[in-house]
Amino acid sequence: MRILVIEDEKKVSSFIKKGLEEEHYAVDTAFDGETGLEMIETNEYDLVVLDLMIPKIDGMEVLRRIRANKNNVPILVLTAKDSTEDIVRGLDAGCDDYLTKPFEFKIFLARVRALLRREKMDKEPVLRVADLTLHPVTHKVMRGGKEIELTSKEYALLDYFMRNPNRVLTRTMISEHVWDYHFDSMTNVIDVYVNYLRKKIDKGFEKKLIHTIRGVGYILSPDRS
Amino acid sequence: MPFLSIRFKLTLWYVLILAALLISFSTFLYITLSKSLHRDVDNKLRSLAELIATESSSPLSKFGFGNIDQALEVSLDLKPIGKFIQVLDESGRVGRRSENLKNIQLPVSLQTLKNATRGIVTFETHRIGNVPLRIITYPVKEHQHITRIIQIASSLEDVEEALNKLFLILLITVPSALLLASLGGQFLARKALKPVDQITQTARVITTKNLNQRIQPLRVKDEISRLVDTFNEMISRLDQSFQQIKQFTADASHELKTPLTILKGEVEVALRKERTPSEYTQILESNLEEIDRMSKIVDDLLWLSKADIGEIQLQKEEVNLTALIQELVEQMGLLAQSKGIQIQITHHDGLDEIRIYGDALRMRELFLNLIDNGIKYTEEGGEITIHLQKEFPLPIQEASNSSDGRKAGFAKVTISDTGIGISKEDQKKIFNRFYRVDKARSREQGGSGLGLSICKWIVEAHQGEIEVESELGKGSSFIVKLPLYSPSLNPAL
Repeated sequence: MRILVIEDEKKVSSFIKKGLEEEHYAVDTAFDGETGLEMIETNEYDLVVLDLMIPKIDGMEVLRRIRANKNNVPILVLTAKDSTEDIVRGLDAGCDDYLTKPFEFKIFLARVRALLRREKMDKEPVLRVADLTLHPVTHKVMRGGKEIELTSKEYALLDYFMRNPNRVLTRTMISEHVWDYHFDSMTNVIDVYVNYLRKKIDKGFEKKLIHTIRGVGYILSPDRS
Repeated sequence: MPFLSIRFKLTLWYVLILAALLISFSTFLYITLSKSLHRDVDNKLRSLAELIATESSSPLSKFGFGNIDQALEVSLDLKPIGKFIQVLDESGRVGRRSENLKNIQLPVSLQTLKNATRGIVTFETHRIGNVPLRIITYPVKEHQHITRIIQIASSLEDVEEALNKLFLILLITVPSALLLASLGGQFLARKALKPVDQITQTARVITTKNLNQRIQPLRVKDEISRLVDTFNEMISRLDQSFQQIKQFTADASHELKTPLTILKGEVEVALRKERTPSEYTQILESNLEEIDRMSKIVDDLLWLSKADIGEIQLQKEEVNLTALIQELVEQMGLLAQSKGIQIQITHHDGLDEIRIYGDALRMRELFLNLIDNGIKYTEEGGEITIHLQKEFPLPIQEASNSSDGRKAGFAKVTISDTGIGISKEDQKKIFNRFYRVDKARSREQGGSGLGLSICKWIVEAHQGEIEVESELGKGSSFIVKLPLYSPSLNPAL
């Protein structure tokens, strides 16, 4: 899952990025509203974390412009403005959640998970495809009662697959949702990681879940042979 | 102290004054009337006595005989109704009397008799039975001798009755008039004071929560409408200062929340798993930086709030500004050098030393802040120039005669940098508390957002001025004007 953090306070931005990355999210950062809006227009994010008091374009304005562009990306506003009016104004302007600074990092992560779950039809906190399960809180991946050890990138990749089951995912989509801004999509890194993941998920099981769609990308589906 | 409404007090005063007026008027009326009525009775008695005396002395008089009533009727064609007449001889023995006296004798006192023998007319009031009588004792002189004494009495019953009637009328009308006046007075006072009640009611409901409320202004301009206007202006001022305090509190809490967020966030993220010692060191160092930042903000906030309530005392003395700035530049030289910034001092008036009257410690704080700002916002290889000069707003000979320190001229210190500059819009707000042109940059430089507010306070506490001139991208100049030292300024000398 790829997250954009728009926050001008470098240290705040930096610990959010660090904390999120340790939870296997791909994180981009922007230090002002203008850059933030540009990045939202060029990339597809699964979540935006937005500070309200940012230079160049104010956070509220960023919020309005994102929604005016018919972009429905979940937005979590993170700000020191904690009056009731500020919270109401923020939520009414189109943000999905509001967290005031200083905040508890555990709560922040839980809200991130909740917002990412909101996109799914199925609100179950555990992701499940056939006998494969992924726990976003504990990062435990199980298949057929056995725990599967994954690296951070493999986990992020599987997380993306499991949130979009039975859907063909192109390499561009994968690179946009699993890797951050600094990723060079021209390399074959994606293929390499998908193969790693396939070995850990499907090896030793009769039913294969990850399938290659030649010339397009990959699909996670229990109903293909 | 019990509550006494103005309405009650006004009415009370009004009624008291009116009562005093009415009572003195009534008393005057009563006394005047009484005197006038009594005088009338006396006059009538006297003229009758004179008439009888003249008649009785005449040679043709028939007064010597028969009864008095007849004699009067015959010789004077007079029927004195209600008058009692009695004639005495010179020794006081009673002679003839009018018939209506029947067997009553008019009293004659010894003193009256003595007066009469000396030829003096006496008026007396006696009460015979229940009837008040006014009696004239009139001696009749014939050939230098008192031959007879005529006594005439007249009843005072009519007079007393008239006076009693008047007294009764006054006794009823004065209190009723006062009662009516007090009702009318209350009514008038209530009418006049009605807006005051409205003001009280509005004032009662206004709290810090609804300072935007105002009292309905009156249509007519009078004292009360002036009170309403004044009251509304006062609420406006209160509202304004409350807004300022609110804004300041919000700003201060925001400023403190940023380092708190960083501290909390960094530590929480760090604690999520085992870290290497170098990572821990890095986090602790960063935490320390934030703690320092918070201390600086808290210190500055405390300083300013102390200044606001007048707890910062200035120890004013003669300060050699030239030497002080020289010293500061040497002190800041190291910091400037590390950024490759040159600091130089120029003097407008040659090598003349500039002395001001001020608090040396605060002056140090002021110029340290300004030079530090210059270094912070100037790129590497830039330049800071501190220009010192004296300025006199009036011709010098006139100024030196003046005892006013400000007119004696001031020191002008211009601190110019070749830094990033400040936009026109920001220049207006730059001295406001917590105002930052570039939030991120200011924080990176470790600023509290209060430095220039403190500078402004110090300058103004010295009756000086501070202003900024700047052009974006070219640099900024902070101009400080402070009163020059003159011996007359120092109360110790």
